[in-house]
Amino acid sequence: MMNAAMKVQSAAQTARARHSRNREYGLLLLLAPALVYFIVYHLIPIAGTVVMSFQDFRIVGKSPFVGFKHFKLLFSSPAFLQVLANTLIISFMKIVLFFPLPIIFALLLNEIRSSFIRKFVQSTTYLPHFLSWVVIAGIWIAFLSPGTGGMNQIRGWFGLAPFDYMTDKGSIRWVLFSSETWRSLGWDSIIYMTALTNISPSLYESADLDGAGPLQKMRYITLPELVPTMVTVFILNMGFFLNAGFDQVFNMMNDSVISKIDILDTYVYRIGLLNMQYSFSSAASLFKGVIGLLLTIFAHFSSKKITGKGLW
Amino acid sequence: MKKSKVKITTADKVWQVFIVTLLLCVSVIVLVPILNLIALSLSDPARVSEVRGLTIFPKGFSLVNYRVLAANPLFMRSILNSVFITVVGTALNLLVTSMAAFALSRPKLPFKRFFMTIIIIVMILEPGLVPEYLVVKGIGLMNSQWSVILYKLVNVYYLIILMRFFEDIPESFIEAAQVDGASYGTILAKVILPLSKSALATQSLFYGVYHWNEYFRSSIYLSDPNKYPLQLILRQFVVLDDTASLIGSGSLFSYDEAARLNYDALQASTIIVAILPVLIIYPLILKYYARGSMEGGIKE
Repeated sequence: MMNAAMKVQSAAQTARARHSRNREYGLLLLLAPALVYFIVYHLIPIAGTVVMSFQDFRIVGKSPFVGFKHFKLLFSSPAFLQVLANTLIISFMKIVLFFPLPIIFALLLNEIRSSFIRKFVQSTTYLPHFLSWVVIAGIWIAFLSPGTGGMNQIRGWFGLAPFDYMTDKGSIRWVLFSSETWRSLGWDSIIYMTALTNISPSLYESADLDGAGPLQKMRYITLPELVPTMVTVFILNMGFFLNAGFDQVFNMMNDSVISKIDILDTYVYRIGLLNMQYSFSSAASLFKGVIGLLLTIFAHFSSKKITGKGLW
Repeated sequence: MKKSKVKITTADKVWQVFIVTLLLCVSVIVLVPILNLIALSLSDPARVSEVRGLTIFPKGFSLVNYRVLAANPLFMRSILNSVFITVVGTALNLLVTSMAAFALSRPKLPFKRFFMTIIIIVMILEPGLVPEYLVVKGIGLMNSQWSVILYKLVNVYYLIILMRFFEDIPESFIEAAQVDGASYGTILAKVILPLSKSALATQSLFYGVYHWNEYFRSSIYLSDPNKYPLQLILRQFVVLDDTASLIGSGSLFSYDEAARLNYDALQASTIIVAILPVLIIYPLILKYYARGSMEGGIKE
């Protein structure tokens, strides 16, 4: 009797366990569409980049293995080295030179007492982040137009002759920098605004009691409290150093300035999809991918070490 | 708030006036180029030459530019295409992302570590453009809008954000439903998603803006101009300065009228049409997203 009861119980347990396991496998069904997507649009192309870089890839017929041929070609190509230099320079401008601007912006914004003006400034300066680079390029091309653009109207006030920034080799990188600032200054300050509101008011109160002035409070409370956020932002952006902003460059590029702003991604697009040098362009992609991977891993571990929060 | 106990001094007032002026200048720099295009697009063609680069109010008033655009079948078609890609794309994004996020948020998911490894690989390795192109070609999606819709089916960062959000939902909610015999699909639909409305709203805005602004994949995967989204038409008209197609061969306007058109004004109008939906949902974006977002500051 006891035995029978135990048997029944254990059978019920097994059934429940099996039922539960079946149910857990049901989760795989929910995951399946995303998984198929990741395999088709990510994993296969990633594997493809690696394989094609070492082949003379042909769409029809066999693709012979050629070792490092394309990498050797890549690094002996002056065009590629110029592209690499452009990428590094533009990234330096957009990541390092730009870096303090949103911090300053957030600090100033935080000082404004009128919440109406603060909200107005915030809602206007976040807006460009949501416009496509096609639209932003359109706006900037119009604004910098030597004929009717606003910039040249301003030049006119100072008695300067009209100037075409978009086709000037010396200016174009600064056009990229300025339009990036125009688009991201407000948006990128959000993370600092959040950090600023998280600073405990009691710190300022005790500083007031000690008779600290605004500059001292800035120097000894606000800035140190912002350091972890600055570190996180800076390190995470390092992982994108070889990106330099494809959409921006792609839409602001023209024949006069291509030598100054052709970056890795635009180069891969041009030689790969337009000139159909599939393997050569895959080698350039792989180079970018490997450096990007190293930078991201470095970013992840530095961020984890310094702030305790990594990328994943 | 932190200064409530401090007496407001003259120096303080001067400082306030200084920073308010400075920051309003930033707002002006952001707004003037956009307002200028609005002014240009709405000005009377006869007076359009009076509109300078810093003009923010239209000279006279005319909708002729917008009427020209409305009469251009390619342009109107592209708006429908963009709406289609955005609506279908965003719906699929939300469906697939939330299904996967829910599965990944369950501690008992079989092979969980393996799947998380795949997620990390997807996050840190960028697929090459050429192999991606060949895959899309291989699965027969060339010249189909599905290639563009499916290209960013799951944004891996949004997936992780949603996964963390689901993980924070109390386990007892899920257990209670399981006792009632609900399957995971039912639990997701009936318990999890209703609790995650704000997270889903935020993600739909971001996926939506992404789809609306997409042009590059469309440019490489679509060959039939009738399938182009608005941004691609815009790129042709404005960035590549292809003014001939801007008038459109099917235009109902006579040459006489076309001759009086100002191409700058017409280009400005296309930009404004492309911005309009973003402006319309912008208050929602501010409400849901900008508030305390941790996304700002990271370049991509």
